[in-house]
Amino acid sequence: MDVATQILISGLTLGAVYAVSTIGLALIFGALNMLNMAQGGLLALGGYIAMWAMQAMGWPAPLAALAAMAAGSLAGGLIFVAAARPMLGGEGFETRIFIATIGIGLMLESVILKLFGPQPQAQSLKLEGGIMLGQVNLPWQNALIFGTALLMLVLVAGMLNRSRLGRAIRATSMNRDAAQLMGVPIRRIYLTILMLSGALAALSGIMISSMSGLLPNMGADPMLKAFIICVVAGLGNVPGAALTAFAIGMLEAVIQYIFGVQYAFAILLCLVIAVLIWRPQGVFGQKEVVRL
Amino acid sequence: MSLLEISGLEVAYGVQRVIRGISLTIKEGEFAALVGPNGHGKTTVLRAISGLARARAGEIRLDGKALTRARPDRIVAAGIIHVPQGDLLFPGMSVLDNLRMGAYLPEAARDEARRLDEVFTLLPKLRDRQTQTASTLSGGERRMVGIGRGLMAGGRILMLDEPSLGLAPIVIDQIYELVQALAKSGRTILVVEENAIRIADMADRMHLLDNGAIAWSGTGQEFLSSPEIFATYLGG
Repeated sequence: MDVATQILISGLTLGAVYAVSTIGLALIFGALNMLNMAQGGLLALGGYIAMWAMQAMGWPAPLAALAAMAAGSLAGGLIFVAAARPMLGGEGFETRIFIATIGIGLMLESVILKLFGPQPQAQSLKLEGGIMLGQVNLPWQNALIFGTALLMLVLVAGMLNRSRLGRAIRATSMNRDAAQLMGVPIRRIYLTILMLSGALAALSGIMISSMSGLLPNMGADPMLKAFIICVVAGLGNVPGAALTAFAIGMLEAVIQYIFGVQYAFAILLCLVIAVLIWRPQGVFGQKEVVRL
Repeated sequence: MSLLEISGLEVAYGVQRVIRGISLTIKEGEFAALVGPNGHGKTTVLRAISGLARARAGEIRLDGKALTRARPDRIVAAGIIHVPQGDLLFPGMSVLDNLRMGAYLPEAARDEARRLDEVFTLLPKLRDRQTQTASTLSGGERRMVGIGRGLMAGGRILMLDEPSLGLAPIVIDQIYELVQALAKSGRTILVVEENAIRIADMADRMHLLDNGAIAWSGTGQEFLSSPEIFATYLGG
């Protein structure tokens, strides 16, 4: 029972972190057909800004988190304005933006390296202590991560399903030309998506660094996992990506317990390959059915 | 008084010039038809008017206001509503949400409930289908949602691209009954249609597009009484 509780806590925390970083990627891919390879850099940026805001500026934790999300949002917006917008509509957009965002991600990492140095640092935005559930300790930090992620998912889902902006985002993702013919200013929608995704990546960076510390390249591994989750869910499928994130988080926790941490990623990849052979369009992706 | 004025419009895909300096005008309340063989640029003309295709030369004006090379959302806001070929619905949204997307712009959104009621009165089948996902609709139902969405947008002129394409004859009749009713209610309509005979007795004015240029313009009755035009351009 205690083992199951421990796995559940670990799996839900991992899933929450993955979900927050994945939905931004899924939104971007759904609307722009763009794989944002700068996501890892945005994660690191969020983590470092939160730490800097608390340590150097003495800001309280919520304000530091908001500052990190604002920085992520601004960086996301700049990625759109400086790289995606000039390439949009041109030939080979997907390939060109893929390469451009690799470069932007590396630049972000280099700037962080220059400003904060290469040595690992602890995240200041972290809750200490926890509560005992039977024999198992539930750290407050894990509870905070799970609660924050859940809140973010509810807010994003509410925005997508109930607001005018959300309908415009969904419409743009489903059919760009049709959205334009409804009067949707799609470039403004793209900018909004990149900014939202940047804010979510920064929040995810705070969560990850609160568990494993800060390093300039800390975003690489979570970004890879976020891409895997996007592909398994079905590229561009936002609710599917959130659910898949929690499933993969739980699966990773179980594999880590049974086989050990060192095998978790390899076994996870094997399972992902099996899923993609079974459903190439992803678990939640749909084959188009044409009715006459 | 001309509502829509197109003069010297040219559109090219790469080096291929597909629209070669066409000029036409559509009056307020007119039911105009753009006919011609498949692949001669009819759809491209509509895409250029609504901003989806870039005009290389020429001018497009609505009520005297220049819209050439304006962004599609600005063109919709100005009052040009385009129901595209193939419907281009939002497949994952319900019929109701598709229709509500038609009233996306603030002015239309303020009047959403009344417009929705009007669409359901004109197209009662959509009231029954409103919770159904668009991707599961039949071709005829999709076409109705496409037109209904265009009506939700309101606008000054409604452009319909091949509303009969790929539909069963009985559904085509229903669609054209609707288009005719809209025309009689005073709406300005521009229909692109390959089947010129189908539209000739309804249209106030017809423009025949041949190889990217206007080859003939006249009333529907003139078109029907000119077998040589039909024989020359439409292979009849």
